[in-house]
Amino acid sequence: MHLPDGLTLLQAVVSGLLIGGLFALAALGLSLVVGVVRIVNLMHGELVLLGAYVAYGLVQATGLNALLVAPLAALAVALLGWPIERFVLQPVVRHGEEAPLLTTFALSVIIQNLLVFLLGADTRSIDSGYGATRLQLGGVSVPMMYLVGFVVALIVCACVHLLITRTAFGRRIRASAENPGDAAVVGVPVRRLYALTFMLAAGVAGLGGALLGMVFSFTPSSGVEYLLTGFTVVVLGGLGSVVGTLVGGLALGLVESFAAAFLGDGYRLFVGLVAFLVFLALRPAGLFGRRA
Amino acid sequence: MSVATTRRGAQRGRVPLAVIALLAGLALLAALPYLLGTYWQQLGFRALQLFTLAVAWNLLAGYAGQVSLGTGAFVGLGAYAFALLGNATGAPLPLLLLAAGAVAALFAIIVSPGLFRLRGLYFTIGSLALAEALRILMVNLSTFGGASGIVLQASTPPFYALYWLALVVALVAGGIVVALLHSPASLALRAVRDDEDVARQMGVRSFRVKLGAFALAAFLTGVAGGLQALKLGAIEPYGAFGMAWTIDTVAVVIIGGIATRGGPLLGTLLYVALGELLRDLPELHNAIGGLFLLLVIRLAPQGVWGLVTGRWAQRPGLAERADG
Amino acid sequence: MAEAAALRVESLSRRFGGVAAVDGVDLEVHAGEALGVIGPNGAGKSTFINLISGALAPSSGRIVLFGEDITTCSADARTRRGIGRTHQIPRPFARMSVWENLALAARHARGGHDMRSVRANCRSILERTGLADVAARPAGALPLLRRKRLELARALALRPRLLLLDEIGAGLIESETRALIELIQSIRAEVEAVVLIEHVMDVITACCERTAVLASGRLLVVGDTRQVLASPEVAAVYLGTTDAGSGQAEDAAARPGAPATAAAALLEVSGATVNYGGVRALRGVDLKVRAGEVVALLGANGAGKTTLARAISGAVPLAAGSIRFDGSPISGLAAERITARGVGHCMEGRRIFASLSVEENLLLAVPPALRREAAARLEEIYAMFPALPAHRHKSGTALSGGQQQMLAIGRAMMSRPKLVILDEVSLGLAPIAVAQLYESLARIRATGVAMLVVEQNIHRGLQLADRACVLAHGSVRLAGRPEEIRGSRELRELYVGEDAGA
Repeated sequence: MHLPDGLTLLQAVVSGLLIGGLFALAALGLSLVVGVVRIVNLMHGELVLLGAYVAYGLVQATGLNALLVAPLAALAVALLGWPIERFVLQPVVRHGEEAPLLTTFALSVIIQNLLVFLLGADTRSIDSGYGATRLQLGGVSVPMMYLVGFVVALIVCACVHLLITRTAFGRRIRASAENPGDAAVVGVPVRRLYALTFMLAAGVAGLGGALLGMVFSFTPSSGVEYLLTGFTVVVLGGLGSVVGTLVGGLALGLVESFAAAFLGDGYRLFVGLVAFLVFLALRPAGLFGRRA
Repeated sequence: MSVATTRRGAQRGRVPLAVIALLAGLALLAALPYLLGTYWQQLGFRALQLFTLAVAWNLLAGYAGQVSLGTGAFVGLGAYAFALLGNATGAPLPLLLLAAGAVAALFAIIVSPGLFRLRGLYFTIGSLALAEALRILMVNLSTFGGASGIVLQASTPPFYALYWLALVVALVAGGIVVALLHSPASLALRAVRDDEDVARQMGVRSFRVKLGAFALAAFLTGVAGGLQALKLGAIEPYGAFGMAWTIDTVAVVIIGGIATRGGPLLGTLLYVALGELLRDLPELHNAIGGLFLLLVIRLAPQGVWGLVTGRWAQRPGLAERADG
Repeated sequence: MAEAAALRVESLSRRFGGVAAVDGVDLEVHAGEALGVIGPNGAGKSTFINLISGALAPSSGRIVLFGEDITTCSADARTRRGIGRTHQIPRPFARMSVWENLALAARHARGGHDMRSVRANCRSILERTGLADVAARPAGALPLLRRKRLELARALALRPRLLLLDEIGAGLIESETRALIELIQSIRAEVEAVVLIEHVMDVITACCERTAVLASGRLLVVGDTRQVLASPEVAAVYLGTTDAGSGQAEDAAARPGAPATAAAALLEVSGATVNYGGVRALRGVDLKVRAGEVVALLGANGAGKTTLARAISGAVPLAAGSIRFDGSPISGLAAERITARGVGHCMEGRRIFASLSVEENLLLAVPPALRREAAARLEEIYAMFPALPAHRHKSGTALSGGQQQMLAIGRAMMSRPKLVILDEVSLGLAPIAVAQLYESLARIRATGVAMLVVEQNIHRGLQLADRACVLAHGSVRLAGRPEEIRGSRELRELYVGEDAGA
């Protein structure tokens, strides 16, 4: 452990916040699925990962700019989300609480291994087009992609926030998250809503993955890391609000950044996980506070 | 007149048959190294090790109701404890295995006050995070060899010795759990699983029950980890603490039949057989295993054992037990 | 005297958010007695039992069991000190056999945990509760009545000193109730005291020497059972006659467009049977509501009124029978489809979404067919309830109780339903708020929509009704015109028990 100087700390703060935006984006889908559809989605990490792989594939195949390709990747993952929710998850909900959880676990195993089988276990990363360009702010220097990712994440979070707070669809989502039984009696088509919400969540996750893939490298087994990042953000920021997820993401970004600065890069994830466990034990309401 | 008596009474004609079959099976298993070559001995080792893990997980998740995804943590702890203590003391193998289990159990006991504050699904996610955190920590701690791990000083025993060791471990594990499930403690265990609040209302000290199951499962898992260290001769954090342990164990138990007596055994046999069929395509093996897991959850929640015994229960004279 | 108290609670309170479910209750249970605890819906009876058994921790106050302060003891510690309880909705360990359920409790019984005494204990209890023949079956496979017996058996296996029975008489028919009363009387000698929470007055009068009445979380009165049940105050709390309006004349005048009896049935319920929460909540109920008609559905707590309402709107499945609306069957359809067909449901307890504003709560209920007219419809509802628009952007639950109820009714009306179900709209409201509410309901009735008014409060329920129907124990006991029902002596008996006033 070494004591970093002021500039390094400032660097850590800035890059931590910027990355945190991406964390929030990557976690947003999980927040929606856990909070609204009420399924603990252990394959969330793989949805994020698929976004990265699809974006990678599209860039390789078409040579288009990675940022242009990202929405397409998001769409692809969203479309995959519908049959998963409708045909694989919905039917097992009635078997109890653990059944959907273990089903998503099984799905994550399947996807991970199919990725290795079909594409190999090599580490990949997406060429963002910004290369090694760095942004200079005073003495602090961060890769340009961090800032781009942060801005995109912010925009998407804002859009999802507006969707949830200003539209009829968002009204139905909020009502179902609070009490699906009552929502149904009031006339909300809850089953269909779950499917649409899952699609939205998958799409957002995919977008997050595509962007993350431009910043960090990934392998078929990166899913677990994305999953735990997602859960940490949700526990830190609270379930049920986009703003909360954003705050949670920024907080986690900072925590990991400081861990790297003080303890070394290898401890980045470790400290994040410790933070997760501590918060989980102290504030389980942060995860399921909205349960009726 | 307990239920057990009723069952035995109805099955009086069948008891000798089952005992004979069991003894014959055991004899065959013990004689395996004389009958088959080293490849099969290795496979047998793997199956017995997996069986031990499955028995432990079935106890924790199936009978105590705590679905843990942290198997990897305890395998790793056991493996590292075995290697470090072996290198430091050179103690005999059985003692080292016990120590490996004890270290894993100790860790379980230490984290349980915090971990058991998490009920149900929180516990599951928490156990996953714990396993991952431990893995990353071990990668970074150079005292334990960091990313390159530790090499065992003692030489690796021949395959048949490993096999027999694993056989003993598996039998002991199976025996302990079966004894536990037939003891009065099993009532408290299943009560906590089915409805923890009502269990406490009936006087059950639910924390102690959960802790006991968790510690025992951790112990058995740690011993299996010790076996792994012994077999490999060298361990490193990615393999020792990897998710693969959790995935294999969960798949085996659920496909075999969670909370059933025969589930771990049947699941192990099926899973290992599948692995052999797809020997050259390990990822495909895992993916198909995942697919089976999916199908079982959807179509046969009691697993293959449940399917098989469900059909047998139609025959007259067999008392029907809810917990298979 | 204090030493002879089996249980003493002092200033016991439990708050949930801002609401006190139990509010400063002082009560003593004498050694050797059986104390009944009664009270209308929402009185706090279940919370009270949960506080004593340890399932809930109190917000303030003390609980003393046989001279020992157990306020901070956990549930299992209280069991070791001699408390045994049954649950309102039976909660057996479903995957364990009946025998195992008992054996578990017996192992934690006072005195004697070895296998022999456990076996003897269980065997004897199985005999006495009539469960010996199902000892080996999984508890989850038991029919409802057997499950209730298992609840009692399991509590007895603990060899408790204080036995808490939570609505053990609910959902039983008369013969079953008699058998239960005999069983309770037979076990009196084994326990030092019993507390019975009940709605079934027969059980109370047969088993309890003293009875306590809870209302809105407070202790209203406690004393000799017969005297308490005969008291006019207690009757008022149940029948809701405290806010007596100006009488029948007002109602007769306000009924201009009563439909001809030949009008077709809009809603037809036939033989509806519902098993809900381990109890047979409805047994073969028949009900008809014609277009434009107002039908009152009355009955004491636990009679099955809300269950019927929820069965109609699809929130609860039918075990048997059928429900037809507007000519086509609706039982088995998803709740949102039934709403789309023209059934509006203002749910018991209002069920306003806290995460939505007043306006959003209303807009949520607009069906796809009416989407274009949403804004116009919103204005119509605001005109119906002028108190609402001022708060349109506040969270739905930030309003007062009366305003929330208006919001709930308005929400049910947003979809222009042909039939609106109003479930206990007067619950928990001050008389003035209730009066205002019913003025609005009269205006709604004038628009020609059919209404099913579920009420515990008889006076209010009958106020607008063209016809009325009284439920008890899940079946229809009385039906007819309001005048006929109001004067009937049976009505009072159904609410407060037979011979209570005779």
